[in-house]
Amino acid sequence: MSHKIIKVKDNDVVGSINEFLRHLLESGKIHELLVQQSTPSKKVAFPVLISDAKKLHSDVIAPIIPASTAKIVSKITKIQGSPKTIGVVMHPCQIRALIELAKLNQAKLDNIVIIGVDCLGTFPINTYADFHVKKKQTELLLESFTKKNDEVEKHLRTACRVCKDPIPTNADIVIGLYGSDVEKEVLIEAHTEIGKNIIESLKLEDEKDNKNREKAVKEIREEKQKKREEFLKEKGDIKGIEKLADFFDKCVNCHNCRHACPICYCRECLFDSSVFDAEAYKFLRKAENKGLVKMPNDSLLFQLGRMNHMILSCVECGLCEQACPNEIPLMDVFIPVAENAQKEFEYNPGKDLKEKIPMIVYKEDEFTEVGEK
Amino acid sequence: MSEEKKEHKKEEFEPKIVGFLCNWCSYAGADLAGTSRIQYPPNVRIIRVMCSGSVDSMYILRALLEGADGVFVGGCHPGDCHYIDGNYKARRRMVLLNSILETLGLEKERVWLRWISASEGQKFADTMRDMTDAIKKLGPNPIAKHWNI
Repeated sequence: MSHKIIKVKDNDVVGSINEFLRHLLESGKIHELLVQQSTPSKKVAFPVLISDAKKLHSDVIAPIIPASTAKIVSKITKIQGSPKTIGVVMHPCQIRALIELAKLNQAKLDNIVIIGVDCLGTFPINTYADFHVKKKQTELLLESFTKKNDEVEKHLRTACRVCKDPIPTNADIVIGLYGSDVEKEVLIEAHTEIGKNIIESLKLEDEKDNKNREKAVKEIREEKQKKREEFLKEKGDIKGIEKLADFFDKCVNCHNCRHACPICYCRECLFDSSVFDAEAYKFLRKAENKGLVKMPNDSLLFQLGRMNHMILSCVECGLCEQACPNEIPLMDVFIPVAENAQKEFEYNPGKDLKEKIPMIVYKEDEFTEVGEK
Repeated sequence: MSEEKKEHKKEEFEPKIVGFLCNWCSYAGADLAGTSRIQYPPNVRIIRVMCSGSVDSMYILRALLEGADGVFVGGCHPGDCHYIDGNYKARRRMVLLNSILETLGLEKERVWLRWISASEGQKFADTMRDMTDAIKKLGPNPIAKHWNI
């Protein structure tokens, strides 16, 4: 596959990446771009769909992820695949989510060119919006990255701190930061034929050797893996009804986590349906059975039910946790359960588009211990 | 509930089991147990479903959170499913449910998945007896007393 570099001018990484993206749009190889860009207030950066290269001032590495880009691609392509080529600039976790959505027939990837960006981590939306540190968010992030200090670590979302894989897989084009001296250059790699065609047409400089990149990728993956294992060890003991009831105590059943989740795609969620509507006497009987019952009821049922429906495809993006109005640290429970459940089926969500989701396939002679003994 | 009955409850724990039986095999098996006058413990409350594969784990979770001491899911023998592969899918769901039950801190022995054909009235009765005994040993569902969930 093809490895190129773009030169960084005046230490302006974001500007140089923007120039590359503008180049992409102007080349005509890509007709529109979905990329995150700061809103006029500069408080947040939101994904924008952009067709005019002159209006592109994106913030590709701004440490924020206000909404799931996978869900946006799904929204655009669910009914009809895109007639024009769209380049979608995505975080690695969102690429994983998009692959899962494509498997679930919720997105069509024709004419979608996935441009993955090495993820340096993101902040919770409010931390980003009300950033009190003197430096700008992206500046601090890049400084921390080049100087290899952990200044930025304390601001990161839990999901990012223990990220499964901050390097994009399944992308057509990767904008690589790990392993390059970002003050001088940024890597542009093509991982598919489509990506290669586009990159080759842009007349970029060739990368001299990519040993640095390979080494850095291996290192960051190992580092994150280590943090993830520590996290699993630490949080793995939130088990049992007492601890779980305490954990979800602040849940008000608002279902924001479900709205934010890229995997929760059901047009009508079971929990919003009339399945749980019941006659008055059934509510009264519940109270009579236990003496008293918390209202609105069924918040734990919602959490566990949602978990049961999406956990095998959970890409650990942590948007559920970010969406929670009462700041329940959902990842503390969801990451350990995802780890165990996915291991059980040897399934790695977002890894391979051809691999079927575990709940729609089976083998005749598997899990025999679960049914008949 | 009268005082007298409550007293009786304290003496011996009678588990409440919710049973989801598939229309084509297990429900017919239960029916056969009935028409053949085979005795089995009355602890199971049977709900007829069209296929074991149609039992969303949600319903099992709900039964357990509402205080059922055990949940039984009965399907056709592997290869015999009326809908070809519903029981295989039910089995996969059960594997997934087990990892959630672990988080919930419930023994996975509270949820049984068994294959019972329409001709196995005796097996249905035996299974119900085994399950009732097993749940009696496990004791009441600890979630039943939690009101804050």
